[in-house]
Amino acid sequence: MNRMGGTAREPAGLSLKRVHKSYGAHEVLKDISLDIQGGEFVVFVGPSGCGKSTLLRLIAGLEDITAGDVYISDTDVTERDPSDRGIAMVFQTYALYPHMTVAENMGFGLRAARRPRTEIEQKVRQAAEVLRLTDYLDRRPGQLSGGQRQRVAIGRAIVRDPDVFLFDEPLSNLDAELRVGMRIEIARLHQELRNTMIYVTHDQTEAMTLADRIVVLRDGRIEQIGTPSQLYDDPDNVFVAGFIGSPKMNFFKAVVQGADRLRLGETELPCPRTDAAIAGPVILGLRPEDLRVAGPEEPGFPMEVKFSEFLGGTTYVYGEIPGGTGCTVELERSRQARPGTILTLTADIADMRLFDVEGMRIR
Amino acid sequence: MTGTLTAPTPRGGRIRYHRVLFHVTATLVALLFLAPIAWVVLASFRQATDSLKPPLPPWPTDGFTADSYVRLQEFGQSILHYTGNSAFVAIGTAVLTIIVSVLAGYGFSRYRFPLKGLVFVLILSTIMIPFQSILTPLFLLLAKMGLQNKLIGLVLIYTTLQLPFSVFMMRNAFDAVPKEIEEAARIDGMKGIAMLTKVMIPLVKPGIVTVGLFAFLNAWNEFLAALVLLTDQDKFTLPVLMTAVRYGRFGSVDWGAVQAGVMVMMIPCLILFLILQRSYIRGLTAGAVK
Ligand SMILES: Nc1ncnc2c1ncn2[C@@H]1O[C@H](COP(=O)(O)OP(=O)(O)OP(=O)(O)O)[C@@H](O)[C@H]1O
Ligand SMILES: [Mg+2]
Repeated sequence: MNRMGGTAREPAGLSLKRVHKSYGAHEVLKDISLDIQGGEFVVFVGPSGCGKSTLLRLIAGLEDITAGDVYISDTDVTERDPSDRGIAMVFQTYALYPHMTVAENMGFGLRAARRPRTEIEQKVRQAAEVLRLTDYLDRRPGQLSGGQRQRVAIGRAIVRDPDVFLFDEPLSNLDAELRVGMRIEIARLHQELRNTMIYVTHDQTEAMTLADRIVVLRDGRIEQIGTPSQLYDDPDNVFVAGFIGSPKMNFFKAVVQGADRLRLGETELPCPRTDAAIAGPVILGLRPEDLRVAGPEEPGFPMEVKFSEFLGGTTYVYGEIPGGTGCTVELERSRQARPGTILTLTADIADMRLFDVEGMRIR
Repeated sequence: MTGTLTAPTPRGGRIRYHRVLFHVTATLVALLFLAPIAWVVLASFRQATDSLKPPLPPWPTDGFTADSYVRLQEFGQSILHYTGNSAFVAIGTAVLTIIVSVLAGYGFSRYRFPLKGLVFVLILSTIMIPFQSILTPLFLLLAKMGLQNKLIGLVLIYTTLQLPFSVFMMRNAFDAVPKEIEEAARIDGMKGIAMLTKVMIPLVKPGIVTVGLFAFLNAWNEFLAALVLLTDQDKFTLPVLMTAVRYGRFGSVDWGAVQAGVMVMMIPCLILFLILQRSYIRGLTAGAVK
């Protein structure tokens, strides 16, 4: 049972079936299939221009689909108008109606649908309470701060009482502090409303903290779908491994020798067990937080320190291993690492990820 | 700690020389613009004989009188009738221009259709043709349609002349409305005419006011086309009336009546501008995004 509207209906799921989108000859989305459970919070991430916004806008119905189908709660909505799909969208630029008050902005969709005045007023008031906007209902968007405007935009979505909420980088116009506050607010909202939410972001932290599942997109394709910890611990390929986590995972060229030896430059390391037997060149992935300075007896590879960043709790040390490949290590704060010194680094065998030369994960 | 003990310098009390300079210049410029108008006002209150004298000093030397207005009123139909003609033409032009340019501007801004760029450039390029040169064909066209000597014909001509600029203005106004607002409205269930009237038009109101005001003023003041097209004294608009009034009863030029007529023509424009200047200046989209 949620606080809004009292409709205790099951949250609706959403599925995309073989969705394609082209602008002229330029194919932006290529064969996207995706199932989202009712009530799930799904985050789309990916580099700029990979098609995140386009995918969201296809779901919203703001763009025509080139091929494929969109289902919301098992109904094919591919040919429906945006207003009939049971969705609500929050835009990066808020997109409030500047000539209407906050209350009118939030109630506009219901007024367009000719719902009774009392119902509109009640829903607007409820949404305003949830978002702490009650004192601002008579103001115009121009008289609000950025954070308040974004709350109004979210309020407008809530009042529509949609099956699926769509957010396109809703926080990227806010300053860092406000962003954290609004992120927590959105998480709280999801807990309270239990609706399906799809959220597009550039921001690692937003993706990791908000998502039940993350969809990583690249060049209009889905690279991997999984929970934040799945993507972090068990990436399918070099792209996902490098995209999730900050600072980035380190990648080194290595060679598998014999059954269980891994040669990295001059150094021999133990090789993680894999299902398939492997030999020859591989890519070794190691996260900065999994690397540590080797003990006196341990095998390790050398890194020449270039510079370091002190971040309070930890220090990131940037350097090069022989051959010139860049390497980042997270060290505890007490550790000194002056530029020019050589650190001998190692990692636990469980933290090593192997990829083939094409970048696919070897498990 | 002397800093905390002495009072801060009151900023308003100091004389700012650049501000003085600004106000002096602005006053001079304003006087320059207002002087001819004041001249007209004063001249309209002269005696008939007085108004034939050299215009210095500008004030009536033989005492104030409203005789000029009486003579204006007595010419042909009442002055109210001619004002009505002018108002019909000006308001008709403004309304028609607004309707057509809003629709056209919205179309050019938001829809894709074949040859859109070419059509737009063609419309704009008609600004470069002096309209006096097409007056004759226009006259013939209207005559064919049976619209010569009709006020509605004049409205059509004025609207046509007003449209290139107006369509351009409205397209820019619609272009300035963020796409996301329209998309949000689509999600809220707006489409077609409702989208235009409930969401878009309030956002381009300053553009509409500008276009309407220009159309009104141009139609209100236009002389040549009205002179050519209107032959019936009943149908005269105020500018044409002015030339007719000029030749008073005794063959002499009646400057007094002309000045009085100019006054009558000026007042509605002034009132209109004062009412509309706020929305004319204010940009409504402020605060919509970011
Ligand atoms: N209207 C359009 N016409 C042609 N190409 C378009 C259009 N809209 C988007 N694209 C292209 O589609 C691709 C994906 O765009 P999209 O906006 O979905 O990227 P994105 O992942 O949201 O990027 P960002 O993170 O920068 O917002 C881009 O290469 C873009 O150039
Ligand atoms: Mg985007």
